[in-house]
Amino acid sequence: MERRRWWIAPSILALALILSIAWGYREYQTRKQLQTTLENHYQRIFFDVKKHVENVQTNISKAMAANSSERNILLLSEIMNEAYFAQDKLAQMPIPQSDIANTQKFLNQAADYSYYLIQTHLEGVPLTKEQRGQLASLRDNSAKFNEELAKLQSDLADKNFTIGSMSNRQTARIEEGNENVFQTTLVNIDKNMADVPRLIYDGPFADEMINRKAVGLTGEKVSREEAERKVREFFGGNRVKRITAFEEGENIENVRIPSYTFSVQLDNASEDRATYIAVSRQGGHIVWMRNPRAINNEKLSIDQAQEKARRFLEEKGFDNMEVNYHQKYNGGILFNFALTEENVTIYPDLVKVKVALDNGEIIGFDATPYYTSHHERDIPKPKLSLQEARAKLRDDFEVNSERLAIIPKGKKEVLCYEFKGTHMNNEFIIYVNAENGREEDVLQLVIDENGTLTF
Amino acid sequence: MKLPQKRKKFLILTLAFTLAFLSILMFYEPSDYLSEADYNKALAPRVLYWGSQGQDVKNVQWQLVKWKYLVGKVDGIYGPETYRAVRRFQAKNGLKVDGIVGPETAAALGITLSEAAPASAQGLNRQSDEYLLARCIHGEARGEPYVGKVAVAAVVLNRVRSPQFPNTIAGVIYQPLAFTAVADGQINLTPNKDAINAARDALNGWDPTYGALYYWNPATATSKWIWTRKVTLKIGKHWFGV
Repeated sequence: MERRRWWIAPSILALALILSIAWGYREYQTRKQLQTTLENHYQRIFFDVKKHVENVQTNISKAMAANSSERNILLLSEIMNEAYFAQDKLAQMPIPQSDIANTQKFLNQAADYSYYLIQTHLEGVPLTKEQRGQLASLRDNSAKFNEELAKLQSDLADKNFTIGSMSNRQTARIEEGNENVFQTTLVNIDKNMADVPRLIYDGPFADEMINRKAVGLTGEKVSREEAERKVREFFGGNRVKRITAFEEGENIENVRIPSYTFSVQLDNASEDRATYIAVSRQGGHIVWMRNPRAINNEKLSIDQAQEKARRFLEEKGFDNMEVNYHQKYNGGILFNFALTEENVTIYPDLVKVKVALDNGEIIGFDATPYYTSHHERDIPKPKLSLQEARAKLRDDFEVNSERLAIIPKGKKEVLCYEFKGTHMNNEFIIYVNAENGREEDVLQLVIDENGTLTF
Repeated sequence: MKLPQKRKKFLILTLAFTLAFLSILMFYEPSDYLSEADYNKALAPRVLYWGSQGQDVKNVQWQLVKWKYLVGKVDGIYGPETYRAVRRFQAKNGLKVDGIVGPETAAALGITLSEAAPASAQGLNRQSDEYLLARCIHGEARGEPYVGKVAVAAVVLNRVRSPQFPNTIAGVIYQPLAFTAVADGQINLTPNKDAINAARDALNGWDPTYGALYYWNPATATSKWIWTRKVTLKIGKHWFGV
């Protein structure tokens, strides 16, 4: 009996071993397949980045050689495309953001700058000497970038390096030496990019736009105690039960609107729902407030809520505000108010007010745009008459309403005729420059039961 | 000598079971066990919530009216009545009471949610941005106070506007190595109502971070580099900076 049974246990084990080896091999194969797919994707992106940067470089050279503004516009739009492509693909690589931040900025600004130059070309203004200089510097820097990438490409071809291995943060940091040639090259490129001279232009990605300071804050600096007092005053009637300041870092003064931020417990709120409020350090203005309480019974109509919002703004000293859009969500309704002066709607000076639809309480307030841009304006007289501006529109654009408005254009503001209307069953707002008749902007509106969205 | 019949049977059975078990392991498709864990699904399921509109909402309302959870008209807009009715339905049926119609609630209602976004003006709406942002908030800042959730969404939106980062919401959220909740798949959890509200508030312009581009949790941050950022404000457990 003993002699016949001995083989049973080992053979089961052997069988199990064979099966688990087979299973493991299968797993290994799958993993390898996935890895290769991912690696192929990364390689494609890497080669694409190189190609796009190359195209940026050559197209800038061409644009500098070309004389006609038609050719220049075509070349610049190509530069814009290629730079955005390069940036988009670079950001998909498994590299820490900190290692490519400046490179991304360089590419985004190159694209944005091209768009800016296209606009100046279209306005018929020839390039200035400074702009040609900036183009030359863009070309040189993309050439340097391209060179480094070419070197990296040939380096990588010699070594058995996979980009995919970078995505594991730990190994990327531990494995020093050769394998890291990829990361070190990119870090070096990024360091060079940090020293690229600043592009002076007007566009959403321009440094001047990003570092813009708020111009609408008036008054002296206030202390924290003073700010707390302003908060109690804002809610009024001893409604504030408890007030706690947020912990601040050492660079709190570096933001666009340096403020004190508080979490407030109101008398009628549940203990787990705080209200948040910010008071600007300069002048002690309430910058924003938000009470995220739950709303269950929608009782107010839109008009009733709007009246509440309007009265609230008057009470807080915002005069001549006019409601433009509303958006209903989460049981509340958010109104966008813009300043009006001399019958001109000033869109940059925007204040948002959110009203609870159960009892009409003001549950949200945001004057960040207002304080960012509000200043004394000299509103020019329009050079075009309404009829002349209207003649600039398409014949089949059906105008429903028209008025004068100031809209932001980069750092500047322009006076426009605003035409609201429909074209092929879609709603649009078209802005026609009141000075020279140019179509400054076209916005598409999507209107539903909940309000209006612009695209 | 012969083995007793019983033992032989037992042995053969064991062998058969081992074989069966191992062959199951062997032919188990790797893609299948991705869907085992809730958050490893490649895409979060479609859900309906307060503010949703369209045919799916109508189907839900119709079912709720039929079963007397909802008294009102079937208008295809997920408003407060529908919200309360869904909560009542969820409480009665032992589901998680959150007022959101996800896959489980939909199944209990006996309906399937269509994949497509609800119809609006030629497909133009903000829901996909809103929902992606809400998922990011839910993955990154589930345990944070409301303002901390909006702050995380605001950082995503500030990055979209910054030249140093990708220029779309999805580009920012899915940038490799940028968010841990994306790397470990927590972004695919179904967001709760707070996360959706926070996403909407952020999209409507509220930025409690005053333009921050980074945030980190000092207790879990692994990167030393993050401390070289300019620190501005602490919201909940996160430090924010530029």
